[in-house]
Formats: sequence, structure tokens, C-alpha cells
Amino acid sequence: MVNATKGLFISCDIPMAQFIINLNNSMPASQKFIIHILDNTHLFVQPHVTEMIRSAIAEFRDQNSYEKPS
Amino acid sequence: MDHHHHKSQYRGDKGRPSKKPKFSSKDEYRGKFVEDDDAYYNEDTEDDYRDGEGEEKKRDFSKLELKPDHPNRPLWACADGRIFLETFSPLYKQAYDFLIAIAEPVCRPESMHEYNLTPHSLYAAVSVGLETETIISVLNKLSKTKLPREMIDFIHASTANYGKVKLVLKKNRYLVESPFPEVLKRLLQDEVISKARIATENSHGSDGFTISKAAGEIATGHDGLLNEAELAAAAEEKETHSFEIDPSQVENVKQRCLPNALNYPMLEEYDFRNDNVNPDLNMELKPHAQPRPYQEKSLSKMFGNGRARSGIIVLPCGAGKSLVGVSAACRIKKSCLCLATNAVSVDQWAFQFKLWSTIQDDHICRFTSDSKERFRGNAGVVVTTYNMVAFGGKRSEESEKIIEEIRNREWGLLLMDEVHVVPAHMFRKVISLTKSHCKLGLTATLVREDERITDLNFLIGPKLYEANWLDLVKGGFIANVQCAEVWCPMTKEFFAEYLKKENSKKKQALYVMNPNKFRACEFLIRFHEQQRGDKIIVFADNLFALTEYAMKLRKPMIYGATSHVERTKILQAFKCSREVNTIFLSKVGDNSIDIPEANVIIQISSHAGSRRQEAQRLGRILRAKGKLEDRMAGGKEEYNAFFYSLVSTDTQEMFYSTKRQQFLIDQGYSFKVITSLPPPDTGADLSYHRLDEQLALLSKVLSAGDDAVGLEQLEEDADDIALHKARRMAGSMSAMSGAHGMVYMEYSTGKKHGQGMNKSKPKDPSKRHYLFKRRYG
Repeated sequence: MVNATKGLFISCDIPMAQFIINLNNSMPASQKFIIHILDNTHLFVQPHVTEMIRSAIAEFRDQNSYEKPS
Repeated sequence: MDHHHHKSQYRGDKGRPSKKPKFSSKDEYRGKFVEDDDAYYNEDTEDDYRDGEGEEKKRDFSKLELKPDHPNRPLWACADGRIFLETFSPLYKQAYDFLIAIAEPVCRPESMHEYNLTPHSLYAAVSVGLETETIISVLNKLSKTKLPREMIDFIHASTANYGKVKLVLKKNRYLVESPFPEVLKRLLQDEVISKARIATENSHGSDGFTISKAAGEIATGHDGLLNEAELAAAAEEKETHSFEIDPSQVENVKQRCLPNALNYPMLEEYDFRNDNVNPDLNMELKPHAQPRPYQEKSLSKMFGNGRARSGIIVLPCGAGKSLVGVSAACRIKKSCLCLATNAVSVDQWAFQFKLWSTIQDDHICRFTSDSKERFRGNAGVVVTTYNMVAFGGKRSEESEKIIEEIRNREWGLLLMDEVHVVPAHMFRKVISLTKSHCKLGLTATLVREDERITDLNFLIGPKLYEANWLDLVKGGFIANVQCAEVWCPMTKEFFAEYLKKENSKKKQALYVMNPNKFRACEFLIRFHEQQRGDKIIVFADNLFALTEYAMKLRKPMIYGATSHVERTKILQAFKCSREVNTIFLSKVGDNSIDIPEANVIIQISSHAGSRRQEAQRLGRILRAKGKLEDRMAGGKEEYNAFFYSLVSTDTQEMFYSTKRQQFLIDQGYSFKVITSLPPPDTGADLSYHRLDEQLALLSKVLSAGDDAVGLEQLEEDADDIALHKARRMAGSMSAMSGAHGMVYMEYSTGKKHGQGMNKSKPKDPSKRHYLFKRRYG
């Protein structure tokens, strides 16, 4: 029998995929959101995590960028 | 004006979102995020300073009134003290000379410069002989708009008292001198000063002040900007009033005159031509020593009125600071004490003196732990280090004798190299130990505008001159450097480890050892060695990385523990051998090793966010090479020097890298971003091409101890002081110093990298980086 799961397909670069996987690993079992790691740059995740991932990435990138105080 | 256009554009290319400023809560940001956050700490002070209060409001300049002939005038003067200069104006050169004398350069890209009027910059202006009214009238002439009232008031307020009082050493008597007798009277109302006064017999006038004539300022090259009346006024002889003070009280009197007390900061000048107490030193510039225009200009600021002024001259590395120093000594022609930061520079200074001047060999001597020479005769030049003079512990008998001589002598000139790296307390000590008539500080990067720079203002004197880097590049005086930031993506496996919480102490090692970075480095070395026949220096602060890279690529390396003999051997090979074209250097190479041959720098790891280190490293390749005509725009070799900074993307390194570049960007340099090195479809023959090699490297990084992968810590110029190592190891030096990364510790334990690198990390939650704070509550 075929099982259909609704989810979100993420396409990103290699480091960002690792970032999301690491994020997933740091979650308690009940909140893990990755359904499938498809390959190095593609992930299939729960549909409700879009904003959470976006903000986690934004925060991570913010820490790594220097903005000269004006 | 937005200073990081260069960068943000490149960011845009890659579709990176532009970031909001994130310094709103700085105290949180100064966390223990980095291994060595000290330098980082300091520099934030300055950022704080420049962060505006109510900047937004001040940025509306629509009310400024344009003069009808504004296109002919080169600058915009704004009410908040900021001045913008159009560098394409025909009046640019004159306007630049004037602005650099009265204002602090903030950012100097190619077409438009930004300056800031500050109390200190105006103090400097007054001290080189510019008067309040001259400053206002020239500024008004150059400005496209009517000078804002606020700016005029600010200039008046800041200069009202500056330059009114001078401290002059004449025939070895300390005189407080002023053209305004009422000011002297005001000073004498102060208890400390009146007690310090020595009554003189031959005083005239009802106040008992000595009155004499002094030649006025001969305009120092603001050609055509002053009208005839102003010139005449300047050249007119002026009457000066003076009283004498007790030499032992000089420091106290100076202290009382500072802005936080009586607010009549004293200018120090040395009337060396009339000094017939101190013996002359027979030295002249050799005919082949032809100072360049900007060197001439900086000297004219120093000697503008026939006396020698104390102060600081700022020239980029490689622009010939030493010729300026030697020329100054040749004009004063008295005994000169020259202070450098380490033994290698001591040798270089001694060499420069012999190269440019006619000084006899037995009139110049070096005083370091290795060579304790003494000059013959009653006047001479002594070259030594700050450490040697300031050291407070027990010395060898021989050193003690020499240091006694240094203390007892009256020096005509105290020449101080690299003044930006020397901690303020050490300056105080050196300056209070040595009696000198005139102090000249030299530096390439007057980066910090925190209180330590303020200290320099009063300990040495104001900034007398600062050259514009891009003008020197255009004039062919320094190399035209192509700066590039090479973005190296992290490999999947390295990034996965980088993100793990348990590897927080290995983050640096992981991003430095990123195989993609290694391959980019190897590619660049091959390219420059084989295609261009260049000489390359690779810098790595991280000793683990330094060793791994150098061993793998089979290149020689030098770090703190490398013996003098071995260093010399390696450097000699780098200079002479066609086989040795690349060397790996740790922090020791930042400023204490002279490598004029190199024209390529590859930086694989660096000291957190230190803008000064970045500038110093660039300075290693600034010395102009090759024929002038080839180097001019459109010539055969428009760029003949290359500065690469390799950065692992998506890591903390991106943050540091951008911060580090700020100083150079403010000097007008732009960094080109290179995103794919080695180019796609190539690089199969480079190291770490296969996954199993990369994984072996990864496990090596992970199995190394946390201590082994940190930064190298060194202390420069172990002298007599080395005998008292235990005391120094306690860290007193680096704790007190403002120089942080620049005060080095040399370890004799050679191969064990771990030693002394385990900097304790306090777990004070208030110091935690805000990210972690958020996570741990």
C-alpha cells in the first residue's frame, strides 16, 4: 500500500543542509522534523517548520556577519 | 556615508541577505565567544565612540546654504563636525593638506573622503601653528556651503585655550611661554604651578615675566589658501612672555594644564639651534637621501617654526618612516634615543641611520640583550627597545651601567617607533625615565581612538601629519596591492563537526583546516610560484594549522619557538634561493621580521577581529618594487602585490574577516571576493581531493587536544627580563598592555604547542555570548 506524507521539500547548499540536520538532532524526539534526508542538498521535512528553520538560519548568519556600526 | 559598499555589493552578487546592524546591545556581544577576545574588546570601545547619539537627526543637511560658486569649492562642512572632501576637485591637494591638519580622517575611498573635526584634531592643528581664525577662514573658503554656526562655535570652543601655552627647554631651563601674559597669570593662580615656578633675576615687566621675541609661523605650505594679510600676520614677530619652572616639577605642571584641570594643554617645542649646553652630533643626511614630498611635508610640520615640535607622524608601512626619523635626527643634530619594539627592528634602525646619514660608526650603538654597545664621544645615537628601558627588575651589571647613562643624559630627540603598539603605562615609564627635549612618535596605524590614543596625545604630542594611502599608491611610493577575500565553503563533514556543541573549542581549528581552504591555499601558492615567479608569505596564527599546512606542502615555517639560527637560515634561503619561494609564518612575522622580497600574502588564520594586524600584514608587501612606470595605472604591472585572506564561509571567520578589513577599507582599499578556488574542473592534483584524505584530516583535527589547536602566544624580545620568567608568565605584561596580541612570549619549550596556551575561560554567565545566553537562560 502506498503511504502519502505531506511535507516540505528543501533545496539548499551542503553546509546549510548540515545546519538543518544538526538543528534536527538537537531537538527532543517529539519535535524532530526531518522526514527524509534525500541527498547532500535536499531534505524532506514536516510542513510546519518553515518559519522555525528560517529564523534559525537567519540568526546563525547574523552571528557570522559583521556590520560596521554607522 | 556608507563605508562598506564594496563588501555589500559582493554579498549581493551571491544573493546573501543584507544584515541589520546588530550592535544594539554591545555588552552582551562582548562575550567569551572567541578564544582571544581581548583585542576585540578594545576595538569595540571605538565603535561605541563612533556610534552616534541622535545621528539620524543630524543627517538632514537640507538647510545648509549653497554658495553660488560651489562647484569650484572642494568640500562639504556639516554641522555635526563632519567634512566631506571631493578628491576630484582641482583644489584637492591643498584642501587635503589643510584638512589632515585640522580634522581626523574617518574614511578615504577614491572619490570622496570623510573627516571629522574633534577637539584633539583641532589641538593638533593649533600645535602646528594654525590659529583659530585661520582655520575658520580657510575652511569657509573651501566649503561649498556657508559654514554652519555650530561648526564655527565648536572650533572656537576647542581652540580657545589650545596652543596658548608652550613648554620650552631653553639652555636647559624649562620655560612656560605664552604670548598672552593674562594666561600665565591664570596658570600661576594654581598652587602646584606657582610652587614650581623659579624666580629669575633679569625679568622685565610688571608681572615679572621674561619677554622675548619669537619668529612667527612661516606658513607651512597651505599655498594660496591664505591671503597676504594673513601671511603677513603669521610671519610677524610676536612677543612672548615666560616664566621658569623647576625641572623636577615639569610632569606635575603639565598635568595641571591638561583639559581635565586648567585646560591649557602645553605644546612642547625644542629650540635646538639655541641649545649650546648639549653637545652637537655631527650628522647630515647623505646626498642620496632624498625625502619624498610627503616625507618633506611631515618634517615641515615638525620643524615649521625653526624649533622641533613633539608629536606623531603617521605613514603607511613601506612608505619610509625611518627616513623621516633619521632626517629629524639630522636636523636636530643632538644625541638621539631611538626606541623600537624588538631586537630585529633595533638592527634595522641602526642600519637605516648608517644608510641615510653621515653618522660615524662609533657614534651609533645598539642596546639589546645581545649587543650592549656604547658610543664614543659626548654625543651619539642609541637604538634600543621599549622593554630594555622600561624594565623594572634586576639587570645585569653591564646593562645597569648603560641604562644609567641613558637616564642621565639629556636627549635632543626621543624617536619612538610603532607608537600604537606600546602600552600607555610603558610610555609613561619611558618618558619619565628619559629626559628629552623633543619626542617624535612614528606609526602606520593609529587605529584606536580610545583613551590610549588620547594618552599618546599628551604623552608624546598631537598628530603632526598623516599620509593618504591611495595618494601614495598613485604616486608610486608604495605598492599597488590587490586585496582579495577568498570564500571557501566548508565541506559537509567539517561543517557537521563545526556545528556540534561538544566541538565549541575546536571551531577555529575546524574552519582553518577546512579542506577547501587548504586546496585554495595550495592553488594560490602554485599559481603565484609557477605562473608569476612571486615570493609568498603564508600567515597562520593557529600553530596546529601552521604546522599541518607547512608539512603537507613541504614549505619552511617560522614561529615563536624557531631558533634565531634557523630563522636566519630560512629567511636567507627565501631571499636568495630560487627553490624557496614560499614561507609559512606565525604571528612572529607580523612586524618583527623584515622580508622585503615578498609580494604575495596568503592569510589562512588570523587573530580574531584585529584591524591593526590586518594592516600590519598588508604592510609586509607595501614596499614598492619594480619600475615606477610599470606600476602606474595602465602600466605593465598595475597590481604587483597581492593580499589574500582565506575565509571559510558560514563560520565565525566571516565575522572576523569583515571586521579586520575595516581599517584598510577606511584607507580606501577594496576587497575583491573570489568564490571558487580552485576553479571548477581543476584541482584533482591538489591535496585532499579524495574524501578519505579529508576524513583522515578531520579525525586528526578532532583528536588533537583543545589546547593544541589554539592561538600561539609570544612575547617579544626576551631580554634581561627573561631571567625573571616566572614573574612574567603570571601575565602581568599582557594584562596591563594595550597591545594584547602584540606583546609576545617566546617559549623555549619548542615543539610542545600546548604550553601556555590554555587561556582560562571564565564561566561567568554575564560574559556569555548573547546566543548562548539565550540558549541557557
